[in-house]
Amino acid sequence: MDFFAPVLDGFGTVMDPTNLLYCLVGVVIGMLVGVLPGLGPAATIAILLPLTYGIEPVTAIIMLAGIFYGAQYGGTITSVLLRLPGEASSVVTVFDGYVMAKQGRAGTALGIAAIGSFAGATVSIIGLTFLAPLVASFALDFGPPEYAALALLGILLVATISGASKIKAIIAAAVGLLLATVGRDIFTGAERFTFGNLSMADGIDFAPLAMGLFGIGEILYNLEDRHRAVSAPIKVKRVWPSGKDIKQAAPAMGRGSLLGFFLGILPGGGATISSLVSYAVEKKVAKDPSRFGKGAIEGVAGPETANNAAATSSFIPLLTLGIPANGTMAIIFGALLIQGITPGPQLIGNDPELFWGVVNSMYIGNILLLLMAIPLVGVFIRILRIRAAILAPITVLITMLGAYTIRNSIFDVFLVVVFGALGYVMKKFGFEPGPLVLAFVLGSLLESNLRRSLLVLEGDLGGFFTRPISASLLIVFVIVALWPMLKSFIDKRKTNTLAVQVETEKEKV
Amino acid sequence: MKNRFTRRTLLSLSAAGAALALTACGGNVGGGSADPAKFPNGPVTFTVGAAPGGSTDLIARALSEGLSDELGVAVPAVNKPGANGALATEEVAEMDPDGQNLVMLNASLFTITPLAVSEEEAVTFDDVDVLAGLSQDDYVMIASKKSGFASFDEVASSDEKLSYGTTGVGTGSQLAQELLLAQADVKGTTVPFDSGAPALTAVMGNQVQISTVQLGEAKPQIDAGTVEPLVIFSTERNEFLPDVPTAKELGYDVPVSQFRAVGVPKGLSAEAKSKLTEAIQGATETETYKEFNKNNLLTPHEISGEEVIKEWTALAEKYKSLTEENGISLVSGK
Repeated sequence: MDFFAPVLDGFGTVMDPTNLLYCLVGVVIGMLVGVLPGLGPAATIAILLPLTYGIEPVTAIIMLAGIFYGAQYGGTITSVLLRLPGEASSVVTVFDGYVMAKQGRAGTALGIAAIGSFAGATVSIIGLTFLAPLVASFALDFGPPEYAALALLGILLVATISGASKIKAIIAAAVGLLLATVGRDIFTGAERFTFGNLSMADGIDFAPLAMGLFGIGEILYNLEDRHRAVSAPIKVKRVWPSGKDIKQAAPAMGRGSLLGFFLGILPGGGATISSLVSYAVEKKVAKDPSRFGKGAIEGVAGPETANNAAATSSFIPLLTLGIPANGTMAIIFGALLIQGITPGPQLIGNDPELFWGVVNSMYIGNILLLLMAIPLVGVFIRILRIRAAILAPITVLITMLGAYTIRNSIFDVFLVVVFGALGYVMKKFGFEPGPLVLAFVLGSLLESNLRRSLLVLEGDLGGFFTRPISASLLIVFVIVALWPMLKSFIDKRKTNTLAVQVETEKEKV
Repeated sequence: MKNRFTRRTLLSLSAAGAALALTACGGNVGGGSADPAKFPNGPVTFTVGAAPGGSTDLIARALSEGLSDELGVAVPAVNKPGANGALATEEVAEMDPDGQNLVMLNASLFTITPLAVSEEEAVTFDDVDVLAGLSQDDYVMIASKKSGFASFDEVASSDEKLSYGTTGVGTGSQLAQELLLAQADVKGTTVPFDSGAPALTAVMGNQVQISTVQLGEAKPQIDAGTVEPLVIFSTERNEFLPDVPTAKELGYDVPVSQFRAVGVPKGLSAEAKSKLTEAIQGATETETYKEFNKNNLLTPHEISGEEVIKEWTALAEKYKSLTEENGISLVSGK
């Protein structure tokens, strides 16, 4: 078996005690920085880069990869417990995860997220092992028109996933789209809504926006609540998901794994879109969609599985094509270059030990992550037993610190405050921040790719329909958009016929 | 209730303690700075106006390793991305000229950005002083395999409608490509991407047929044969890509490269300046740094600060007149 020999050698590389140790170190660091909002894996890896100069390339990359997927899970913890999504891909986890925590089911949410993350990552690694070169070309077929269609579909899903009023969700999404236009126009260099402020030239960063709207907004709202009634610390009923929970979440995990694996391959926004699509799919297939937003376990399991699967499959374009799919991958790309290794199509042939060593370390790393998560869930949920009067200021402090460290900019701290106030007002008037944040992320993706498509297609909109992938995406878009109307029409006819039947029955009698 | 009081007292007590400790620390630092003549006085911060991971950031980090050994203090690289480095440069320019703060300068910020933004926004040498030049990073024009082009002449004589990717508005990639196309009288659609990686990916997938990107990014793909190099924009052939002709050889006047240098706030004392300049020289002479340049396909261009100012000022004028001569604009409405 020519194929399996290098794969098995790769396991040999990982089992080397040094590599195992660095894998563990990476995963632990990753989980910690994931918990701290703002300090993302990209910045952490950049800071730790000099440490890797002296060690073997395989060892270095194993550690850096560990930081990356460790942080993915760490981010879930703050989303569930404190309503602080550290990254765009964990925004949808907030919807049901935080509600579950308020219901005393934080342990269940974190547990299911850990299991889902493990499942998603495992499916992705298996896919990476067997399909990497095959699916890599899929990323290249994604040009501007395909991204535009995908972003369009994403924005439509934003409106459908919201729990409360659809009109309010659309208004919030519209504000998100507007905020996405802030910054220097990347096609003409024109300043848009920057008010001559250089800090706004590159637009508003995702992290201060999300941290303000979700985290600070929620804290302000709860503060007001405290005066009305003394809210007792949340009782934590159960630490670990029951068999029933797992059974309920399993199909969501299966769908999330596949979605995440394929969408994660796409450079830019893959993980975010996959978590969003997964949430929308779960809501669509659920027997009772009204449970979503009120603590539905599938709403945590699906997206969490999807974003971890996507995080893992984002290694495919890096290792097989030499394309970094996101910021973190770009830094790992840089780390490889420093080691004298150029990621690209020849990597697998020239350096099989490195390729398979890194891939196989992810199996081990994810097992380590799961093993650590199980006992730590119990520790983390203790946070919820802390009185709000103590927890709230600490959370605010960590959030501000996190916002500052992203760009070392005090301006971003002000942004958190401004968006915190906006989040509070929105919550008071019954607007969800979710659609705003997601539309914000997708807005710039849509705008730049739509304009890029029009340039490439020379203004011919028909070009969107002659390309197979963008055409299929647009067809899905139309179906999703028209489905509610179609459904209500069918339902109406059903009840009509039923009514007629009842009438005739009555007449017979 | 009583219980609550004790807790509160405890809290305020510990807060007072923390405040005391902080004051004590502050006193310490103040004591150290009583001797302003001494340099370096504590860590020297190296501000980078780009996100972690890009080549600007990697250069700063490689240099700060060596600088730290030379100066005997920590030299942390701090990222402050925004507005192509203008944010970081302006911020450092306003700091005390005590040598404790350095900033990484990109030539494009001084030579190309002014062509795309308003005058007040452009950074000039009135704002900062330059200590030393570091290296040159070249742009290369690449074609997709599917397009079948093997030289720029084939592109110039082609009747096909072609799309040309750039790494963004106001970048060297855009300037070099626009100038070349204008001089060769080639019509095509320019498609700006967010950065180098997507512009490169688009060529690999034949979403655009041609792109101009930085050599370091394109090299792995050139070696793997997934994209075809056509022209390099350095004035002399690049040692990392010796078989690819320069634009100059093909008869075009497009001397566009990215250069990097170390900057400081204006008004630095002569002593601190010479110490820093020596330290930079020492750092660039280490084997690790030389190896770093080679691995990242950077051509060393280690010149003095005065030479940097002269070269960049000349380039800025050259680009201005070239864009006017060829009737091109980097911003909208062309």
